Amino acid sequence: MTLPFVHADWSAVVPVGIVAATALFILIADFFAGREGQRYVSIGIGLIGIAAAGYFAARQFGHNYDAFFGGFMVGGFATVFQEIILLAAAGSLILYATIGAPQRVAGMSAIMLWSACGAMLMAGAANLMMIFLGLELLSLGLYALCAAVDRKTARESALKYLILSSTATGFLIFGFALLFGATGSIRLADLVNPYLATSPYFWIGAGMFLIGIVFKLSLVPFHTWTPDVFEGAPLPVTAFMSVVTKAGTLAVFARFIYAALPPDTAEGLLLPVWIVAGISMIAGNVGMLAQENLKRLLGYSGVAQIGYILAALAGSTPLGLRYALYYLVAYAFMNLGAFAVAAAISGEDEEGAQIASYRGLARRRPWLAAAMTVFLLALAGLPPTAGFLGKILILSSSVASGYVWLGALLIIGTAISLYAYAKVIRVMYAHDAGEAHAVRPFVPLAWVSAAICGVFVIAMTFYPLTPSNVLPLVR
Amino acid sequence: MALVPITILLPLVVGALLYALPRAPLDGVYPEPSRRARGDGWLARVIGVATAVATFAMLVAERDAQWSVRWLSRPFTAAFHFGATPVAFWIALLLALCTACAIATTRVARTRDFVALLLMLEGTMLGLFLARDLLVFALFWDLMLLPVFFGLLNWGEHPATAWRYFIYNFAGGLTLLLATAAFGVIYGSTDVIGRTGAPLVGAWAPWIFAGFAFAFLVKTPIWPLHTWMPPTYSGLPPPMVAVVSAVQSKAGLYGLLAIALPLLPNYVHQYALPLMVLAAVSLIYGAVVALVQNDAKRVVAYSSLSHLGLIVIAIASLNPLAIKGAIVYIVAHGLFSAALFMVLGYVEEREDTRSLLRLGGLGWKNPRLAGALCIAALAALGLPGLAGFVGELVILIGVYQAGYTWPVVVALIAIILASAYLIRLYQDVMNGPEVEDLPVRADLSWVEGLAVAPLLFALVALGVDPAPLLRL
Repeated sequence: MTLPFVHADWSAVVPVGIVAATALFILIADFFAGREGQRYVSIGIGLIGIAAAGYFAARQFGHNYDAFFGGFMVGGFATVFQEIILLAAAGSLILYATIGAPQRVAGMSAIMLWSACGAMLMAGAANLMMIFLGLELLSLGLYALCAAVDRKTARESALKYLILSSTATGFLIFGFALLFGATGSIRLADLVNPYLATSPYFWIGAGMFLIGIVFKLSLVPFHTWTPDVFEGAPLPVTAFMSVVTKAGTLAVFARFIYAALPPDTAEGLLLPVWIVAGISMIAGNVGMLAQENLKRLLGYSGVAQIGYILAALAGSTPLGLRYALYYLVAYAFMNLGAFAVAAAISGEDEEGAQIASYRGLARRRPWLAAAMTVFLLALAGLPPTAGFLGKILILSSSVASGYVWLGALLIIGTAISLYAYAKVIRVMYAHDAGEAHAVRPFVPLAWVSAAICGVFVIAMTFYPLTPSNVLPLVR
Repeated sequence: MALVPITILLPLVVGALLYALPRAPLDGVYPEPSRRARGDGWLARVIGVATAVATFAMLVAERDAQWSVRWLSRPFTAAFHFGATPVAFWIALLLALCTACAIATTRVARTRDFVALLLMLEGTMLGLFLARDLLVFALFWDLMLLPVFFGLLNWGEHPATAWRYFIYNFAGGLTLLLATAAFGVIYGSTDVIGRTGAPLVGAWAPWIFAGFAFAFLVKTPIWPLHTWMPPTYSGLPPPMVAVVSAVQSKAGLYGLLAIALPLLPNYVHQYALPLMVLAAVSLIYGAVVALVQNDAKRVVAYSSLSHLGLIVIAIASLNPLAIKGAIVYIVAHGLFSAALFMVLGYVEEREDTRSLLRLGGLGWKNPRLAGALCIAALAALGLPGLAGFVGELVILIGVYQAGYTWPVVVALIAIILASAYLIRLYQDVMNGPEVEDLPVRADLSWVEGLAVAPLLFALVALGVDPAPLLRL
């Protein structure tokens, strides 16, 4: 009897392993560091670990690595997703270190890293088991993270997430069972079989699988949990969730539509997903309009943004995947940046989550207000930001692959979203908005991360080597 | 050669620096700014005028230069390609001139921030007019909306105006974006402005034309897409409205001239009639409404709607002579509308009102003020010898040559109405019995005189010798 571990290509899982080990180190180091020292320990060790993982992941890029009998494959687009996840994990760790002491709970940073491991496994997952394993690792950590602070809304958020996410997982698992029944294999690659195109098991199984994915991506009609969960969860956790869950799930979805569909089934099977993505662009942006809470606003915004990203994938063109990745990177920077600004003006409590706290920010903190403006403009897709170029790329992809109606919906959704984003800008800049809100003293870490995100959001627009030019994408 | 990007970046960078440099703690507590804030304001204005003059000089020095850096190679090629086309050159000069004049007489609360905003407005619009790439054009199109949005937000009369401006124009910007993306995918490149390439044809071309046309007509504006314009023009402080009405409204017309005409001529021809009907409605509607407005700024705003309708008719006629006339009139309208808004701004600053019912008799003791308004108004109503006349005449001849008689008749009616509302404007502000209880009733200061003089001088000079514009 041969054990799978003997033949596993360990080098494929080095980045994931490093992140997992880093989390362990942080947990141990937390014992020895005091209450105040703990945050520096966790970001110190955490950032070093993430940097190392990022380095090894980057070295894998362009080569094919697989482990566990082809159940885990990296080196192509999966590596890009992994880097995005690492980036978001690093940003969230920094945010964790900047928030007020009552918001910080020992162990949060370790759990965050383990969740990131789950997402990284999802990014490389090439069989049904690995998808499930990664998803559960990601979600279990998030349930705990949502409830980490002692607040009614946080507990509510965790419970909601637990119940709804489990339902989605149920769909996913049942879909897996049917797909396994149809093929007799757990490998995604075995789904590429013309025989399956007529198999009812395949269609029902794939349908349930997609429902689970749509749920996890929080697309309409399964999006209503997102704003509630975002509002209740602690600020760093919200930032983490907003990028990492999307990245992990998108990777699975991308693998499914690019490498695991029987010939000639893509159009019929995926059309509902594109329709749902189109509706999400409108519904998410309409949902933003009435929000008074920045986390809820960004939750609804995320619903719309994931719709934009899916519009790039519609038609399953290789270029579309690159544009989706470009937009996801841009989205990671703009979202993390917005959360960094929110952290910079949060004191002991989470004042940064209330839009009212931004009143008159331009007078008190002109630089923070300028950075927030850049992030909001980027989310709205205005120049000179990466959001603008990302939208152009997505639009041209949808035109080129014949999904012009998705492009038109994107335009309408963006027009709606403007009001919501500009409302926040108005609160910061308008002089008639009333007395400026008192602000928290200088928080170097949050300011630096906001600045880094801002620089990237702008530079990604103009740097001629946008991912569409440099990514030699391999499977 | 490298001067071209510097021309665009200079106002942007100076503007950003003016905004970002540390300021006095009580900067601009209106109406009594601290001494330091006033000093700041003066310095900002000097720097602002110097920057605008510098861009003017660089534009003249590097008239034919081009500069390009690759941006995208997939899904279509795009480049940061800048360089003035002949038409854009004149509009850019107009922009630099108007900005310098506007900044010289800026008198608002928080002067420094306002000057910074005006400079950024200049930089973004220079980027738009100098862009040789459609995607860069679309980028600056959206970008140039932001300074005006912030201007309306902080210095405007009502915040709702800011929303209306932003949403209307950005909706136009979005259709422009979708059309640009579709154009790029089908045409393979967006580096097309000012090149003689094959026109775009195919099933998608009409939709692409529709996307461009919507954006351009909102921006110009043309009835029935104009409803953002009167509140925006009357709400903005005078220096900014001078630049916006003089130059930003030309972005749409420039788009029609530089993008729609060379790349989609078939569709301009095909949709000439609807375009002309809308433009003719704007012509008459603007003139009639201007006739009954009692707000001086709104009179000029509606007159703008009317005048720009004439330019759209000229472009839609596709007659070469009419298009030459359109270019002359674009510059002339920029000059006289900037002058009108600036002079009316001086009046408003002095007397704290711009109601035609309240004002009156200012001309008796203030010859320079009255003279400036008089020349600007005469240029606007098309008096021979001033630039407006040349533009109107050439347009009318050209449109008539192209075989369209009714638009010429409509335009002639509108021109008669223009005389009526502009003379009414002048009468109600300058003539009549002196109103004793108006606060100041002073003549132009020498700075104000110097600020409007270049605009009036250019109106006379181009009216006497329009050859440089007609030769394009």
